[in-house]
Amino acid sequence: MNPDHHSSLNPSSSLKSRFTKTFLRSLIKINKQRPFPYCPREIFQRCHRVKTAADKSLARAAGSRRVWSRAMLCKIRNRSLRRGCQQRPSVRRIIIGYQTTKKGYCLQKKMSDDQEVGTDQASKLRKLVPGGEAMDLCSLLDEAAHYIKCLNTQVQVMRRIADIHSS
Amino acid sequence: MGSSGDNNDGLAFQSGGQSVVNCQSSGMGGNPFFASAWDPVVSISQHENFGGSSMLSQSELTNSPYPVVMENQGISTTSHLVHYQSGSSYVELVPKFPSYGSGSFSEMVSSFGLNECGQIANTGCHPNYTTNKEANIERTIANSAESQEDHQLTEEPITGASPDGKKRKRVGESNSSYDPNKNAEGERLKDPSGHSSDVQKEQDEKKPRTEQNSGANLRGKQSAKQAKNNSHSGEAPNENYIHVRARRGQATNSHSLAERVRREKISERMRLLQELVPGCNKITGKAVMLDEIINYVQSLQQQVEFLSMKLATVNPELSNDIEKILSKDILHPRGSNAALMGFVPGMNAHPYSHGIFPASIPVISNANPQFPSVPHTTLDNDLQSLFPNGI
Repeated sequence: MNPDHHSSLNPSSSLKSRFTKTFLRSLIKINKQRPFPYCPREIFQRCHRVKTAADKSLARAAGSRRVWSRAMLCKIRNRSLRRGCQQRPSVRRIIIGYQTTKKGYCLQKKMSDDQEVGTDQASKLRKLVPGGEAMDLCSLLDEAAHYIKCLNTQVQVMRRIADIHSS
Repeated sequence: MGSSGDNNDGLAFQSGGQSVVNCQSSGMGGNPFFASAWDPVVSISQHENFGGSSMLSQSELTNSPYPVVMENQGISTTSHLVHYQSGSSYVELVPKFPSYGSGSFSEMVSSFGLNECGQIANTGCHPNYTTNKEANIERTIANSAESQEDHQLTEEPITGASPDGKKRKRVGESNSSYDPNKNAEGERLKDPSGHSSDVQKEQDEKKPRTEQNSGANLRGKQSAKQAKNNSHSGEAPNENYIHVRARRGQATNSHSLAERVRREKISERMRLLQELVPGCNKITGKAVMLDEIINYVQSLQQQVEFLSMKLATVNPELSNDIEKILSKDILHPRGSNAALMGFVPGMNAHPYSHGIFPASIPVISNANPQFPSVPHTTLDNDLQSLFPNGI
């Protein structure tokens, strides 16, 4: 299989390649930054960093066209901003404002959708899918489908990397 | 839409003064007696069921063709109204009175003069469809008067006076029982011209639907009474059939059409999701399907967490060259690895189908190539393999 053929086959394969590249790069960065963790706290920190890197690279690979990828990136940025301790408050406000306006606009539609399917399940799904709070059921399902596809890719790639490292 | 439709109920429901104002603004010209004739009939008959004021019954009557309004008002009386489906003519004609006899209606509202109109009602009661002609006349009068209200009675397609395409749809759809011919005209007129509404998307979807519906409904809807989804089917004109109004909680027909479109979209998406989530081929039903989806997403997220934990503990032997090699390897797995990769989805399915595994239990099975085929034992082995890995 040549790379060109592989990537042009279907979008998911290019998603995979994009994710792989970004994730590997961030992994290398993480490994370079800190020494190998020996105590559980460091391990936990590292694990968190790896997870964040994985989510971030997945969201980037998915593209900004998707609501969930944008929401995920916003979340990560917010988290880093909060940790950075008011470095750029204006940016944070803008991000939060964006999210809340979207939520407010879509909530009305959300109310009518609740009658359709079980409210609990819909709300659970909203919590699981990033950015799902501010979506109506229809687009929520759409985003969930794409999110599941990307998660699958992510798990596949990460497993492969872990496998290569362990063996 | 709701607020304008509320005018009808506002008349019946809210303060009499307000209703009077509404009535007056709408303009009269119709037959106050005609309009009011129905009112007492239905209110009388409904008194038994509701035991409320005639105003209540009036409002409930007005609500029958306007489930949206009903929802707004919080009246849940459609169940009662189902009884009156056979007498749908007067039920549908009732809402007309707000536009017509404002003076007489205000009298009605304020005094509930049932007795006065009772005689008139009796005379005008029986012909369900012969009165349609008169209804149409009144409608045309109403059309000129009321161009703003989102009103069932304003049969604008006929006069062509409607500025609001959305209204037109409602008129066409909900006027099914008035006059089949006119309704068909209404619908046909509706289709090419309904563009100006607020919800253009809905309209675009509704346009082909109304065409389909008019075609389908003309074939007859005896079963329309039962199906909730067939609320839109009542729109089609057909004298031979009893036209069923929307059931409890259903919007007016234009709304129900939009809902139907939405529902179809949702079911289509659920089908897509069914293909994505493993082991959901046999599942029918949104609730169970949603549960499965939620479980699957949760399990995937847990897998990611676990994998990141594993990666964090792995020795960092990465360098740029290795990165390239790795990426090539991952994206284009070789034969031996491909077997593992092929094995992976199967393994994925198993732990998932057994429920959500706690993150501590390694879902990763291909870390142990020695045990490719036995899911349960690999889990234990993976646990053992994990510990030597680095924790």
